[in-house]
Amino acid sequence: MSGEPILQVSELCKSFGNLAALNRVSFHIAPGEILGLIGPNGAGKTTLFNTISGLYHPDGGQVAFKGQSIGGLSPHAICKLGMSRTFQVTQAFEHLSVAEAIRIGAYNRHGERGVEAKVRETVAFFGLEKIQDWKCSDLGLAPLKRVEVARAAATDPELLLLDEAGAGLNASELAELMEMLKTLRRKRDMTLCVVEHVMPMVMGLCERIIVLDYGELIAEGTPEMISKNEKVIEAYLGRRSKR
Amino acid sequence: MRRNSRGSWLLAIALAAVAAALPLAFLRNQYNLILLTTVALYGVLTSAWNIIGGMAGQLDLSAGAYLGLGAYTTATLLLRWNITPWVGMFAGGVVAMGFAFLVGFPLFRFRIREVWYALSSSALVVVLQVVFLLWKQVGGPMERLLPSASFSLYNLRFQSYLPYYYIMLVLLLATLFIAYRIRTRRLGYYLLALGDNEDAAEVLGVDARGSKLKALVIYAFLVGITGGLYACIYGFVHTSFFSPTISMEVAILGIVGGLGIIYGPLLATVILVTGRELLRAGLGGRLQSLYLVIYAVVLILIALLRPRGLASLLGAWRKERR
Repeated sequence: MSGEPILQVSELCKSFGNLAALNRVSFHIAPGEILGLIGPNGAGKTTLFNTISGLYHPDGGQVAFKGQSIGGLSPHAICKLGMSRTFQVTQAFEHLSVAEAIRIGAYNRHGERGVEAKVRETVAFFGLEKIQDWKCSDLGLAPLKRVEVARAAATDPELLLLDEAGAGLNASELAELMEMLKTLRRKRDMTLCVVEHVMPMVMGLCERIIVLDYGELIAEGTPEMISKNEKVIEAYLGRRSKR
Repeated sequence: MRRNSRGSWLLAIALAAVAAALPLAFLRNQYNLILLTTVALYGVLTSAWNIIGGMAGQLDLSAGAYLGLGAYTTATLLLRWNITPWVGMFAGGVVAMGFAFLVGFPLFRFRIREVWYALSSSALVVVLQVVFLLWKQVGGPMERLLPSASFSLYNLRFQSYLPYYYIMLVLLLATLFIAYRIRTRRLGYYLLALGDNEDAAEVLGVDARGSKLKALVIYAFLVGITGGLYACIYGFVHTSFFSPTISMEVAILGIVGGLGIIYGPLLATVILVTGRELLRAGLGGRLQSLYLVIYAVVLILIALLRPRGLASLLGAWRKERR
């Protein structure tokens, strides 16, 4: 990977009361890569996303996006700089149609002139033509998840954070999603960071994986390395009994 | 919808023409002209409210605050410096706008929403009422009468309600047009998204505070202008103009009409305010408050049977015809 990282997180801390949800977390994302972020439930993955994307204020440490410090900026300002995200628990615009939800994202880089074309292009890219006039409140989980990815992609981000975009999808839906994400990277030069529990997706998509447990980074490496890492196995399955 | 947009425009123009021709039917009857003017006035208030309440989803109960500010600004400018209400009402709009900015900035900064926003905004009305009661130079406990010439274009003083009705109608059409422009552009989509889910909108590049502040300020401006006209129509200003009742009514009509739908609040206003006033006039002599009971029952029925507002009736009818 060339050049400096697109995202550099250093010593990031975030606590809720006495609970340290993130404890001095440091990692980077290189331009153009697909980074996987895994860890057991409650490890702090979503907190990490919320802190990076500006929904939470960090208690300590630095987040630099394209070399610029973004700690404490509001989410919309961070989006303008070129980072967007999806949510683990889908956050739909209930009263908007699919096309309108995508339009919200498309306005990020387009005025009234270009926004229609951007919406059409995004709808086509994600194969949402048939349901584009449906209200988001009428959608099932799988299409809703796809709309979330679509509206975030419509903001034309350089870095897209996906929080469990694959959860609850069946095998064919998952394969389609993975194809789309790969195409986004190849054709739109997007860098992706995915939080995922669905292992086939992580293993099939990511070049590099970082593992979070109890708010701390415990491992980093290729999927191959991670799947054999003792600490990771321990975090997921518990300590192996020693004789 | 887009294919029908020419038809919608024609329909809107036709309805505006009907509204303009309506007084010709009752030229002799001042009561009916008062009724028409009242309906148009509420139409402006509810259609403006739709921007902050319907689109941005902020349950705003502060219409009375901006109405009073507009009225007092217009009256004070006229009484103290003899500045014509034609200018005064716009000054009233600007004062209301500035005040809305001062109030909205911290409210939206600290993400005050839902009931908390409703409570804060309704408190504003009461606070201003007290302030103007105590502020002797401008307000005070007594009515402040505007110059009572029988006819003065400069003072916006007419013998008939007819000119007031037409001025109000122009303001109503302007308000509807502004609401339409907002709804079909970036700000409108942003407000709708914010009304549904603020966090999701923010990460898509929507400036929540800025967008809501714009909506609030535009709403306050329109209500402030209406306040100036209101003062001229009644010929006086009084602290009761800072009315929690009007504020509440505007929100109720806005909700009953259909949140975020341009013509919804106007539809509700035309039907319900006309009905209420006719009931009041009809029953007034015998059972003084019965009209309020009937009005309340009708509102409850609408809320139960048409939770998405009166405008959804038209929506259903349109779908069947297509």
